[in-house]
Amino acid sequence: MKTFLNISLAAALFVGGVYLYADDDEMEHARPAYSKPLSKQDQASAALYKKECGACHMAYQAGFLPKRSWEKTMSGLGNHFGTDATMDSADTKMIQSYLMTYASTDNRITDVKGAVALRISQTPHFVKEHREITQKMLTQPEVKSIANCTACHTKADTGSYREREIHIPNYGRWE
Amino acid sequence: MKYLTILLIGSMSLMGASTEVVQYMNELSSVAKTENKSFAGFDAARGKEIFTSTHTGKQGKPMSCTSCHTTNLSNSGKNSLTGKVIEPLSPKANPQRLTSAKEVKKWLKRNFVDVYAREGTAQEKGDVLTYIIKN
Ligand code: HEC
Ligand code: HEC
Ligand code: HEC
Repeated sequence: MKTFLNISLAAALFVGGVYLYADDDEMEHARPAYSKPLSKQDQASAALYKKECGACHMAYQAGFLPKRSWEKTMSGLGNHFGTDATMDSADTKMIQSYLMTYASTDNRITDVKGAVALRISQTPHFVKEHREITQKMLTQPEVKSIANCTACHTKADTGSYREREIHIPNYGRWE
Repeated sequence: MKYLTILLIGSMSLMGASTEVVQYMNELSSVAKTENKSFAGFDAARGKEIFTSTHTGKQGKPMSCTSCHTTNLSNSGKNSLTGKVIEPLSPKANPQRLTSAKEVKKWLKRNFVDVYAREGTAQEKGDVLTYIIKN
C-alpha cells in the first residue's frame, strides 16, 4: 500500500512538472494532462519511465518536449547521445506511449534551426531562460553539463523548477 | 513484496547473486563451451582484466568499466558521461545488485558497447560477473 502511494505521488509530481514549467499560454495546453487522474496503467508507466530514463540522468519531465521529439528519441536509443540506451521492446513501447500521453502540445518547441529537437537544453524557451548561465558554471565537475538539471535545480526530479530552489554549485542561490 | 526482498537478501548473502542470475550465468557457460572448445569455467582474474583495462569505446575515446564504476566496487561511482552517481556494483555492498537477470543482461549489453564498442562474448560476460560477485 505504501509503495503504491509513493508511486502515485511520484507520478502526480511528474506530470505536475509540465504545469510548473509552462508559461501562461502553454499552461492552457498542459492543464488537461495535469488534472487528469492517473490510471493504474499510467502509474505503472510513470514508474517505469522514471526507472529506465532516470538511470543515467534525471528522468526529464515529458512536458519539456513535443511528441515528435520523443518519437525520434525512442527510435534512436541504440545511439542515444553517444551511448547505448536500448531496452527490451515491451518496455520501449510502454515508455513511448507514456511520453506520447504527457508530451508538450506546444508545437513551437523546435531546435534553433527548425529541426526536431532532441535536447530540451537546445529549445528556444530553455535557451532564453538560461541565457545568464556562464560556461564557467557549466564546466565545473559538480555540474558538467546543462543537461544535469538537478545540479542547479535542487528539486528538478520532482518536477519543480522554482527560482528559490535554484542553487548553483560554488555560486550559491540565484535570488 | 517484503517477503521477496527478504528472500533475495537471504540468497544474496549466500551466493552473491540471485538464483535467476546464477541461472543466467549457467546459460552463458553453455554458450561459452560451444564457442570455445578449451573453455573450462569462468575466471575472476580474466574478469578483473576485462573490468579494469582501457579500450576505445563507442565514442572513439578511451573508456574502461572503471570510468563509471571506479576500481573499488564497494564504493559509489559516477557516470563519466552524465555525472550521475552510481550506487556500488558489488552485491556485498549493494544487495540489489545481480538480483535481476533482465537488468544484468540490459546493462552488460549497453556497457560493453560503451567500453569495447561491441557486445561482450558469453565468456567475457561470465568472467566479469564472476569478478563482480567476488568483490
Ligand atoms: C545508458 C544511459 C542513458 C539512458 C538509459 C538514457 N539516457 Fe538520455 N542521455 C544520456 C546521455 C549520456 C545524454 C547526454 C548528456 C549530456 O549531454 O550531458 C543524454 C541526454 C538526454 C536528453 C537531452 C538532455 C538535454 O536537454 O540536453 C534527453 C531528452 C534524454 N537523454 C532522454 C532520455 C530518455 C527519454 C530516456 C529513456 C528512454 C533516456 N534518456 C535514457 C544517457 C542515457
Ligand atoms: C548551471 C545551472 C543550471 C542547470 C544545469 C539547469 N538550469 Fe534551469 N535555470 C537555472 C537558472 C539560474 C534559472 C533561472 C533563470 C531566471 O529566472 O533568471 C533557470 C530556469 C529554469 C526554468 C524556468 C523556471 C521558471 O521560473 O519559470 C526551467 C523550467 C528550467 N530552468 C529547467 C531546467 C531543466 C529542465 C534543466 C536540465 C535539462 C535545467 N534547467 C538545467 C540554472 C540551471
Ligand atoms: C558510462 C558509464 C558506465 C560504464 C563505462 C560501465 N557501466 Fe556498468 N552501469 C552503469 C550504470 C549507469 C548502471 C546502472 C546503475 C544503476 O542501476 O544504478 C550500470 C550497471 C551495471 C550492471 C548491472 C548491475 C545490477 O545488477 O544492477 C553491471 C553488471 C555492470 N554495470 C557492469 C559493467 C561492466 C562489466 C562494464 C565494462 C564493460 C561497465 N559496467 C561499464 C554505467 C556504466
